[in-house]
Amino acid sequence: MGALGLHKKLEENTGLLIFGILVVASIGGLVQVLPSLFQESLRTPTENTLPYGALELAGRDIYIREGCSTCHSQQIRPLLAEVERYGAYSRAGEFAYDRPFLWGSKRTGPDLHRIGGKYTDVWHRLHLTDPRAVVPASIMPAYPWLAERQANASEDIERKLRGLRILGHPYSDEEIAAASSVLEGRSELDALVAYLQQLGTAFQPGDQP
Amino acid sequence: MTTTRFSPLLISRLLTQPSRVFADLAGTRPNAAEVFFKLAIWLGCLPPLFAYIGASHFGWHLGAGTPLIVPKPVLAGISFAYFLTLLFGFVTTALVSQWMAATYGARLSLGIHMALITIVGAPLAIGSIMHLYPHVFLNVLVLVPTLIWSMYLLYRGLPVVLRIDPQRGMLMASALVAYLLVAAVSLLGLTAMLWIHGIGPRVGY
Amino acid sequence: MCAGVYVAAELVWPTIDFGQPWLSFGRLRTLHTNVVVFGFGVPALMATGFYSVQRTSHVPLFMPRLAWFVCYAWQAAILLGGLSLLAGVNASKEYAELEWPFDIAITVVWLSFAVVFFGTIATRKVKQIYISNWFYGGLIIVIAMLHVVNSAALPVTLTKSYSLYPGAQDAIVQWWYGHNAVGFLLTGGFLGMLYYFLPKQADRPIWSYRLSIIAFWAFTYSYIWAGPHHLHYNAVPEWVQSLGMVMSLILLAPSWATMINGIMTVSGAWEKLRSDPAMKFIVLSLAFYGLATFEGPMMAIRSVNVVSHFTDWTIGHVHSGALGWNALITFGTFYFLVPRLVGAELYSRRLANVHFWLALAGIMLYLLAMWAAGVSQGLLWLSLDELGELRFGFRDIMASMAPYYVLRFLAGVIFLAGAALMAINLWLTMSGRATRKVRPPAPVGTA
Repeated sequence: MGALGLHKKLEENTGLLIFGILVVASIGGLVQVLPSLFQESLRTPTENTLPYGALELAGRDIYIREGCSTCHSQQIRPLLAEVERYGAYSRAGEFAYDRPFLWGSKRTGPDLHRIGGKYTDVWHRLHLTDPRAVVPASIMPAYPWLAERQANASEDIERKLRGLRILGHPYSDEEIAAASSVLEGRSELDALVAYLQQLGTAFQPGDQP
Repeated sequence: MTTTRFSPLLISRLLTQPSRVFADLAGTRPNAAEVFFKLAIWLGCLPPLFAYIGASHFGWHLGAGTPLIVPKPVLAGISFAYFLTLLFGFVTTALVSQWMAATYGARLSLGIHMALITIVGAPLAIGSIMHLYPHVFLNVLVLVPTLIWSMYLLYRGLPVVLRIDPQRGMLMASALVAYLLVAAVSLLGLTAMLWIHGIGPRVGY
Repeated sequence: MCAGVYVAAELVWPTIDFGQPWLSFGRLRTLHTNVVVFGFGVPALMATGFYSVQRTSHVPLFMPRLAWFVCYAWQAAILLGGLSLLAGVNASKEYAELEWPFDIAITVVWLSFAVVFFGTIATRKVKQIYISNWFYGGLIIVIAMLHVVNSAALPVTLTKSYSLYPGAQDAIVQWWYGHNAVGFLLTGGFLGMLYYFLPKQADRPIWSYRLSIIAFWAFTYSYIWAGPHHLHYNAVPEWVQSLGMVMSLILLAPSWATMINGIMTVSGAWEKLRSDPAMKFIVLSLAFYGLATFEGPMMAIRSVNVVSHFTDWTIGHVHSGALGWNALITFGTFYFLVPRLVGAELYSRRLANVHFWLALAGIMLYLLAMWAAGVSQGLLWLSLDELGELRFGFRDIMASMAPYYVLRFLAGVIFLAGAALMAINLWLTMSGRATRKVRPPAPVGTA
């Protein structure tokens, strides 16, 4: 009756049951997740990966706001066909300044990790404002409001950069002070295009790590 | 109830008088070989045959761009594998059904289980005529409603044919559906694994 | 669910957002996932949890006013949270998109939920804690742990925060959370529902007590490790991926052990189906539970994942579980519960039967359309010609998915129609009848 008798104790004691569940459910996370949080290689940027500039960061936050991750991934897998289609496979160090990560879980549209530089700015502007103008069979929604809104409408870019600096992104005081003026007169569309055009461009084959 | 002979012609009335078909089937005591050689093997021939004809004439339309033309000998091989898979499916499903029968108080003869599965699966075998034009979506369009009809027939026919209460039949049919869903998804997974390991279309992995 | 059908429609006719940001797919899809999990799933679990904990503990709810707070505050949080998602306030971590003010609010409500639930158990008049309560308890504890850790972020404005974890580390934490939200909320919590309402409806005890113990602890232990199967071939350490894969396969055993327990419990109670459409839903939900908990481990295998990752196959898998398991068992439970709470018979058994077939048809159509689309996509994306070059362009592959998206939209409409019938049926059952208080049973003899 040993094990079953022991279990009866758990079934008769709320505190023990709660404790038991907590312990058993924590083991996986402690073994699998916690070590990853201390693994430097997973958050060390690759040689040429830099923190996002003000305009690109504003663009990234728009990408997040509009839920672009629900259709577009940013993770090229080390598979032959994938590398042929999208470019060099994604390394962990390229995402060192991504908060949150935007790897996505679905490709209704193509992967965007190395979209930077593949199309002109004009193409992106046309495509975002009306996808079907450049890709007739596209089912992507249109984002006409991006051109009409100011990139710094909520005037929070300095606070964002400061917050990221607290989290470890190396922004200088000058960069933060100049952030608002970088966004001056720029639309949300400008910001998003700036973000897209730098995606994946910092990595060169042979970069460390 | 008088015992009647099992007849493959039962399927001719499946669309118009399914209840009669099941009532008649309930009165038979077929043996497994009889069902297999009189009906299952012929129904099992249809999808591979249609698929071979369609694919060799039109090529496989996966929807993106030009159709895939596969050499005839390879097509013949694939069709034969399809045939074997279908027969394997018929037989194993009947065996699983027979295995479940004891729990639900149903008839235990393998023959009657084979007859039930074969007759309930007949609409799919006949619907496979869509393979004559191997466009994936069109096949999905026709075969999914056909599948739903087959599932409905299973729920309707199982209690009658296996001579159990309708409620018990509902439980057993649901258990069989669970098995079939798992088998279907296993087939999907197995197919993907075979492709990745080089058996199948050329993939860049 | 309406949001789900709408986004399915947007994938067929992309202009039906009419240029409105709040109807845009990216925002509406996020609303859909959050509202079905936190607006349908969680309230169903809270309702059934609060009901069953009283019945199994033989006492009324601990701190009933707090319970009312949980009810209203949760609904308010999800309603406002949903609106915030439409406004684009989005933390972009799946099933954790609500930004930090909502994270804090739902933590407070969740803690209250814990206090009421565990308080009721602690003050019970029955010696043993019944198994359904272990699962609801697991739900409460583990979701709290997952939520607090994964939502850790630095707020920069009222509507924006940045994740404490960067890049690849964020990915690992997110999928530890994301997979186990599915595990302990959508699976574990609903297993709690199963373990109470199935024997109740079948009027028979659970088939095997021993099996339920082993299954519960194995489930609680192994589910947590399975997260990295969302990250195969991604930029995370190989050992993490492999461990995730192995544990996902191991997870199959406790999942199926529970399913078998349910099937064997009900197989002796078939007469109940005669009078009770509710049981049909629960029985079918077990079949889809078996499917989903088999398909999951299978898709966690690396070589299958190569084909399935990022495709509609994943979507099909989600919905086989969400519609086939979660929705069906909730429907069945509510067909059982509402008439009892109201003191009247279900308005129409015929409507419930029609609902059953609509639900089954909708699920099968959804599943098969997504399997076909997903496997096609996966294969076509990887296809090379004899020269080793890509055979198909992304745009062509994308365009060829259109007919499957139409089928999926139809499937959603069919499923939703069934759910609408249920809403009408339950409404008619409830209207015109006084709601009566259902007292917890008095303890038999001494506790």
